Amino acid sequence: MHPLLIVFLVFGIPAGFALGWVFLRGSESLRRYILTRIALTLPMVLILISVVFFVLRVMPGDVVSSTLGPKASEETRQNIMEALGLDDPLIVQYFRFLGDVVTLDLGDSFIGARRPIVDELGERLPATLELIIPAAIIALGSGLLFGTYAAIRRKKPVDYSLRLYSVIIYSMPIFWLGLLLRLVFSVWLDWTPIAGRIDVVTNTTLERTTNLLFVDSILSGNWAALKSVLRHMILPAATLGLVLSGVFVRLTRINVIETLQEDYVLAARARGIRERIVTYSYALKNAMIPVVTVIGLQVAILLAGAVLTETVFNWPGMGRYLIERISARDFQAVQSTVAVFALFVALISLAVDVIYSVLDPRVKY
Amino acid sequence: MRQYMKIILLVVVLTMVAAACGSDTTDTTEATTDTTAPTATTEAPTTTPTTEPPTETTEPAGPTTIIIGTTDTVSSLDAADAYATADWELIKAFNEPLLRFQPGSNSVLEPGIASLPVASDDGLSWEVTLRDGLVFGDGLELTVEMAVEQLNRLMNVDLQASAPNQVGNTLAIPYVESIEAVGDDTIRFNLLGPAGFFPQILAGAPYTITHPDYFALDEMNLLPASPIYGLGPWIITENTAAEQTVLEPNPYYNGSYPAKVDRIIVQRFASPSAMADAVREGEIDVAWRILGAEAADELKTVDGLTVETIPQAPIRYLIVNHADGFVTSDPLVRQALAAAIDRDELSDVVFGGAVTPLYSQVPPGFLGANEAFEDAYQAPNLDLAVSLLEEAGYSESNKLQIDLGYPPEHYGVTTADGVLLVAQQWEATGLIDVNEISQEWSTYVSDCTNGVAFDVCVLGWFFDFPDAENYLQPFIEGDGLGTMVLCPNESCGDATTTGIDPLLGSLLIDQRAETDLDARAAILEQLQDVYADAVVTIPLWLEPEFIIYRDGIVGDSSLPNPQTLNIGPDFEFLYSVLEVTN
Repeated sequence: MHPLLIVFLVFGIPAGFALGWVFLRGSESLRRYILTRIALTLPMVLILISVVFFVLRVMPGDVVSSTLGPKASEETRQNIMEALGLDDPLIVQYFRFLGDVVTLDLGDSFIGARRPIVDELGERLPATLELIIPAAIIALGSGLLFGTYAAIRRKKPVDYSLRLYSVIIYSMPIFWLGLLLRLVFSVWLDWTPIAGRIDVVTNTTLERTTNLLFVDSILSGNWAALKSVLRHMILPAATLGLVLSGVFVRLTRINVIETLQEDYVLAARARGIRERIVTYSYALKNAMIPVVTVIGLQVAILLAGAVLTETVFNWPGMGRYLIERISARDFQAVQSTVAVFALFVALISLAVDVIYSVLDPRVKY
Repeated sequence: MRQYMKIILLVVVLTMVAAACGSDTTDTTEATTDTTAPTATTEAPTTTPTTEPPTETTEPAGPTTIIIGTTDTVSSLDAADAYATADWELIKAFNEPLLRFQPGSNSVLEPGIASLPVASDDGLSWEVTLRDGLVFGDGLELTVEMAVEQLNRLMNVDLQASAPNQVGNTLAIPYVESIEAVGDDTIRFNLLGPAGFFPQILAGAPYTITHPDYFALDEMNLLPASPIYGLGPWIITENTAAEQTVLEPNPYYNGSYPAKVDRIIVQRFASPSAMADAVREGEIDVAWRILGAEAADELKTVDGLTVETIPQAPIRYLIVNHADGFVTSDPLVRQALAAAIDRDELSDVVFGGAVTPLYSQVPPGFLGANEAFEDAYQAPNLDLAVSLLEEAGYSESNKLQIDLGYPPEHYGVTTADGVLLVAQQWEATGLIDVNEISQEWSTYVSDCTNGVAFDVCVLGWFFDFPDAENYLQPFIEGDGLGTMVLCPNESCGDATTTGIDPLLGSLLIDQRAETDLDARAAILEQLQDVYADAVVTIPLWLEPEFIIYRDGIVGDSSLPNPQTLNIGPDFEFLYSVLEVTN
């Protein structure tokens, strides 16, 4: 089975069940809303990939000149343009691309070995997922923890420190933070590997099924590989996660502060419920609602951040792939990658809206 | 609920701490006991072996692994298509070529899977004889008919038209008329015209004989599923385009350079800095291509690392547009530009002295190479430049306007800095205004080589085959990659050029037909003098390349240049020479 399909099943089946459960248990208006959102997702993705398709075509430069350089004769250039279908009318190329997307084929890459793009994404997408999922956990976990702590220590030194941290960390360039962490933890302290997803030699012993190395090492019972994967994951995920944690710290803090001033919190305290339960169970749960909304928006930023993080840490994911292919004018790969990104962000956005409705029963659609 | 949260948190923290505290870095120079077979990404062709592997000459010295880092990517492993240096390196690892350059040598030819070639009296055909007992890595025996069929993939016009890199259209079809079998073990190459440098072409990766089950006669297979078998000392057991290529010894190899270690892993890096860090921290054993002078310089201070410069390298040069209508169509202007360049300053200021100034388009070490530009202009010679410009009608009130193109990133920032310094040197004449035009590579390269956008533009060059011909012909014949020096012809479009010495074209043809080396060297020297006088291009410097390796990794001391792991001026890295000594 193709790794890309396995990855989609790994994430799609639980997500599908969850969505189905919410759909069946939800109100009539919620069901209508979910259907509407799904229906709107398709034209949104279509518009996005169409814009990308035409913008790429008006950009100066072409894939043949870019890849063959000065050694490309005019005859060679024409041969390759013809072989790639780039001499066809634009509208023909456009509908051919749409056909590829609809059939989930995505066509072949224009450069290198001209491999099927689904194969290339099958290697790259799992790497990116393996980076952004722990990064999201770090961002959300540390954001909620620090934000709540700052709220309950409001106007204390720790509050000021965490607020300062949130501003500094969020405004820090990702590549710079990555290089800094690598210098400290990999070069000076030698605690973590310099780069990559897994130790080079250990990699040769790992049987790959999903290309999610964390999953593959567990499935194959290769604990040396699992250890190596975790060690390699720490710094890139921390880099990406910490930068994004800044916004969650500030958002959580302000919402917890507001929630702690609500009457029901006062009532809970009056009933003698312990402060920790009041804060983390009563206040934080309600403060989570706007945070969940922001998570959806942050996914796009997470993917953008992954581009730089992958470059710094030699992480062979979608971000690096996209940069390489834009430089080489590999239109087919770029538009296909953007289509996958767009679909990914749209589905996360849909999931966030659904979760929102579960968290806050007052929300009506 | 709280207890569960605590337990989960504890598990997560303990996992992270345990992972962070341990070390999974495998010491690759010590015995590796893991024998797990690497997993092929898809099913490979299943040719039934027809021969049992020999057991005595191919036994590796010890269970060792060497990890070679690179910033190169693999585009094609099909010999009938591949063109890039990194691709050729891997192809020659699993597929020994007909001939090879002696590792570490200055392009000395020696037999590969075939004998050194013998030319017919008229120089129009060359014959090589295959080595006995040639067997592919999966046990398939090679026949001469099979060899000829596979080589003819280079000559298949339809196949080449579909090839992304079209190497056959560059290194076979322009020279070779046909390839045929003679007897049981001889291959004859019938040429379209005399070509004294044809043996050098035969030593290239395109003239390796590929396995028929992987590389079909009518279809390109750019990245076959591993394992990939050939006639070379290695088998590619695993290949993931973005990450690594794993090579293990070919048990059927019976040539001169059998593998000395258990496994070579070629690990790919996204950036030179990531590779530099990896070699510094011992995560890779060797860093090879493309690192840059600055990173190499920093690594010289690291204990346990050896940093070596490869003695010959790609060149950087300026394309000068000779087409009528451009200011550089005036020979006085071209000569003034050549006279005003200070190559020593370029080397010292931009590269800290790390590059070698280049005074001919043909680098030192090649047959007939001279210093024609130094002889002609004694550059920097501002007085000569000024007098030439004044003779051409320029003055301080009527300055020469030059459009100078360069790509900001493609060749690295140092090349861009070098071009900007050249602009300053020209402006120092007081009679030239330079308009520096920076363009992104994909648009720049066609604008530069089409000869329509710039008066002068910078490019890099590395040979397809190590011969002076390959440093001169591309800039003279056809559109000269934008020099337009011999226009009009079928490659020039509407461009016309006047006043070029006709010797430029005729000497190029004469040297091809000359089989006596001394006579050919003399023609090449004369050709370079005419080239410098016409200022077809302006050579600038040799771009350095570095190899960095850890203590304990050694090359073959019986071959030239063991200090560079036997990588010679031809840039060929033969993995089979590598050994681990501790």
